[in-house]
Amino acid sequence: MAATDSPSTAVRRRDLCSRGIRLAGKMRADVIDLLDTYVEQQGLDASATVGVVEGVPLAAVERWDEQTGTQRLLENLVAYRAFRALLAQMLEEQREQLGEADAGLGRALAAVLLQVSAFAYHLEELLQLESRGIPSEEGDGPPPLPRLSLFEQKLRGLGVLRELAQWAVRSARDLRQLSKPS
Amino acid sequence: MFSRWSWVACGFYLMLNICSPDASGGLVQSCGHIIPESPVLALGSNFTALCILNESCLDFGNIYANQIIWKIKNRVVPKEQYREINRTVSSVTFNDTSSLATPLTCNIVADGQIEQNIYGITVTVGLAPEKPKNLSCIVHQISRFTYVMTCTWNPGRHTFLDTEFRLRYSWPEEVFPDCIPKGVNNSCTVTDIQFFVNTEIWVEAANALGKAESDPLVVDPIDIVKPLSPQNVSVSSGILPTVLKLTWENWISDAVMTLKFNIRYRVTGDTSWMEVPSEDTASPRTSFSVQGLRPYTEYAFSIRCMKEDGVGYWSDWSEEKTGITTEDEPSKGPPIWRIIDASHSPALWTVHLMWKALKPFEANGVILQYEVTVRDKSSLASPLKKYNVTSTNHTLQLPKGTYEVTLIARNSVGASPPSVLLIPESNSKAPVKNLRTLPKHDKLWVGWTAPNSYVLKYVIEWCLVSSNSDCTIEWQIALGDVQGIDLKGIKPFKCYLITVYPLYADGQGSGESVKAYLKQDRPSKGPTVQTKKVGKAEAVLTWNHLTVEEQNGFIRNYTILYKTIDGNETVVTVDPSKTEYTLSSLTSDTLYTVRMMASTDNGSRTGPDFTFTTQKFGKGEIEAIVVPVCLAFLLIVLLGVLFCFNKRDLIKKHIWPIVPDPSKSNIAQWSPQVPAKHNFNSKNQMYPEGSFTDVSVVEIEADDKKSFSEQDLKPFDLLKKEKSTSEGHSSGIGGSSCMSSPRQSVSDSDEGETTQNTSSTVQYSTVVLNGYRDQTPVQVFSRSESTQPLLDSEERSEDHAGGADSAAQRQQYFRQNGGQDENNIDRSCFERAKQITHGNEGDLVGFVQLQVSGQSSQPLGLGMAKNTQEAALSNISQTCTEGQTVRPETVEENPLPVDDMPKSYLPQTVRQGGYMPQ
Repeated sequence: MAATDSPSTAVRRRDLCSRGIRLAGKMRADVIDLLDTYVEQQGLDASATVGVVEGVPLAAVERWDEQTGTQRLLENLVAYRAFRALLAQMLEEQREQLGEADAGLGRALAAVLLQVSAFAYHLEELLQLESRGIPSEEGDGPPPLPRLSLFEQKLRGLGVLRELAQWAVRSARDLRQLSKPS
Repeated sequence: MFSRWSWVACGFYLMLNICSPDASGGLVQSCGHIIPESPVLALGSNFTALCILNESCLDFGNIYANQIIWKIKNRVVPKEQYREINRTVSSVTFNDTSSLATPLTCNIVADGQIEQNIYGITVTVGLAPEKPKNLSCIVHQISRFTYVMTCTWNPGRHTFLDTEFRLRYSWPEEVFPDCIPKGVNNSCTVTDIQFFVNTEIWVEAANALGKAESDPLVVDPIDIVKPLSPQNVSVSSGILPTVLKLTWENWISDAVMTLKFNIRYRVTGDTSWMEVPSEDTASPRTSFSVQGLRPYTEYAFSIRCMKEDGVGYWSDWSEEKTGITTEDEPSKGPPIWRIIDASHSPALWTVHLMWKALKPFEANGVILQYEVTVRDKSSLASPLKKYNVTSTNHTLQLPKGTYEVTLIARNSVGASPPSVLLIPESNSKAPVKNLRTLPKHDKLWVGWTAPNSYVLKYVIEWCLVSSNSDCTIEWQIALGDVQGIDLKGIKPFKCYLITVYPLYADGQGSGESVKAYLKQDRPSKGPTVQTKKVGKAEAVLTWNHLTVEEQNGFIRNYTILYKTIDGNETVVTVDPSKTEYTLSSLTSDTLYTVRMMASTDNGSRTGPDFTFTTQKFGKGEIEAIVVPVCLAFLLIVLLGVLFCFNKRDLIKKHIWPIVPDPSKSNIAQWSPQVPAKHNFNSKNQMYPEGSFTDVSVVEIEADDKKSFSEQDLKPFDLLKKEKSTSEGHSSGIGGSSCMSSPRQSVSDSDEGETTQNTSSTVQYSTVVLNGYRDQTPVQVFSRSESTQPLLDSEERSEDHAGGADSAAQRQQYFRQNGGQDENNIDRSCFERAKQITHGNEGDLVGFVQLQVSGQSSQPLGLGMAKNTQEAALSNISQTCTEGQTVRPETVEENPLPVDDMPKSYLPQTVRQGGYMPQ
């Protein structure tokens, strides 16, 4: 794949990968910080066990090193589109619950949401460089979220952030793998 | 009549239309309006406005479009710009909107020349915005997690309109809120920054005339970050004395960016920074050990950071932090030197050892003490002498000899290498050659040529030369391989004495000295010159040298400037070593002004002026004149004496004739009635019989006093009374001559006036002698005891008439002697007396007879005074003045026959107690 790249495409891919790796790293750091804030603000136990978040593919995957670049990018794109929708809902729920009382948590959530959006944009760019079409968001998007109780909303938020932190790690590794000359 | 009323009605209608509230609810219903309404126009474009009149106004007010006038701010627009489109519409066109002003009004002029405003608009003229240029952005880290992006741009020309600028930025899939600058139009700060995504940033400028956009700037904000400088920097010393360790905190997460660093440091107090090589700090870290530092030295550190890949901006330098390296043993021994004082005893030296404190980078710590060891090299058996000193000098009393002095400095870590100074018994080695100096900015360079032998090092001594204090020596040691050093701390315009000693392994060379200035100036004062000796054509000038403080430089020469008052100035240049100079070729007896100027390389100063006058005669000239004259005079005198000696008999015959003794004369024998009270003094006696050649006798009648006023005579009345009683005490000489008068010996208190008059009495009478036996007549002045006051000239002038009257009586005598010349009465008595001496021989004959008959040297005047006592006293002064009428000329004109004289006059002169021939 890379062998057929033009020099400008290779530079562009390397640049996108580099930027995406750093963005993933920053996103992870911010999510870790946000997790602490979130647990404290929501009155949750940091050691609480949370089930699988519906609509989000698991970051952990078997035979990771056997995946192709496109496959990695597509899995990442699905995951981050899902995170974008979940974080947007969390932000809305957060505003409904706390109003402007805790603007800090809201700002932190909004910042992470922006990073997720930016990372999704990176992935789309990379997919375009791979000459692959970008899957439509509507068709692959997560189903409408069921109506949950307040506590369940809090737990789901905790689960989203934990999974996002793991995906940030995986995404960085995926992009490093993509940026390696083949 | 109808027309006038119709115009009035029309105007009233217009007023109502303009001013009355509109039925439809508006405040004003105007008779027309302008299109466009308050336009915004581009500067320099053309513009047309229409004024449309309402039909209602046409019907009632008879106003039409041809009556419309346009005004710009009360200035009528030229009618050439109008156009009547129809009867209700008028247009005005402006080719250039720059000539527009606000408001633009449409006005109507009715037939009565009443001008009414119909409508007005506000015209706004401006420019469309230019495309913003030079857009640039920087992301500032505000806190650990806060970043703001500030973008700046060039807004372009001024538009004269309200122009809105917006900073816009977006991702491909997301558009962020615009950033609208507040208060400025060329920058805006965005607070919501997301890294790692390329963001398109641009600026939009818009106003009523248009809109413009800058070129977009696509940048990942992470690439334009200016991070905060590292925080909490601390410095700690390590085990090694040359290492300090810095630690700090980075306030930017590694997840955001990795950093590289710059570390700079300097010795505290220095201004120049040193920097740790950038490749040593190009990786992320939070500490660094700076090596290669000086022991026991305080350093200040500062650090900054930026994105590791070098894209972005360096942070500001962090706050300085200081740290001190640990001590180390002194790196070298202190430089040592000595001053030997052998003035007390040649055999016993007082050696002043002195050394310089080590510089901090040499001491490597706090010097606790110095160890001085003295070894007598001339005596191997003598023990070492050790001294522990805390100061930087030590004085020893040593016998004259050769010594080796060793000095060690100690701090808490250890001892320095020893400094060794050899003190030889004599400085017998070769000195340096060609010692010279050269100012270099604020330093004085001293250079020399090394001797042929190997020199260990040189000692350079210098001191400030002063006229009023000793030279305080400073010194410095230079290594043996250098041939010049810079002396620091040298003051300008001061004279320094610099001496260089070469130190050899086995001895010391003698010192070579030179005087030098770092910077010269003109002298602060000029020399004061004065003369040591002044002659006719030369003058020796002397002056004192200026003190070294006054010189301000090397005196290159003195210049003497001298001139006469009106002459040109002469300039003489004198060697500066001189203190004396002889000016020659001067003009005699002339006033000269001289001044003196001292010159250095940088200027001159003139001293005060000094004046002197050359002498009229040169040395020996007076002697050359006087001595010959004296010798000639002496020679003449000698010759005269010799001549006189040879002719002594002849001279004696003429000068010292044998004078017969009157007492032994026959006359004395026949003149027993000589009054005893008349003491003929020797003066009288010294004139022998017949020596008088002429005697003037004034004969005054008692009636003469009538010619004087009573007032004039009053004092004389008193005197007269006294005289009658004190006559016997008065001199026998008074009144004997024309200049004499009887002495007034009275001293009563009543004689105040008289006393005053006597203040001008003639105290001398003149006895005029004719030549004796053909000898030159001799004027003899003898003292008169008369206190007869002289009459002043006024009295004399008043008395002339009376005097003339009395003269008639006196002519009995005078006419016999030649008459009286009244024209000559003002001549002085003395003068006349001399004239008398010019009498001819014929007079002598008669006088001899008179003397013989009158006895002599007692003048006839005395006899006259006694004989004519009353008249004479009242005319004492007249005796003088009128006696002056006796003129030799008249005598000459009327020579008396010799035979007639005695017979005629003798009885008159001797009457009333005069001498009467027996």
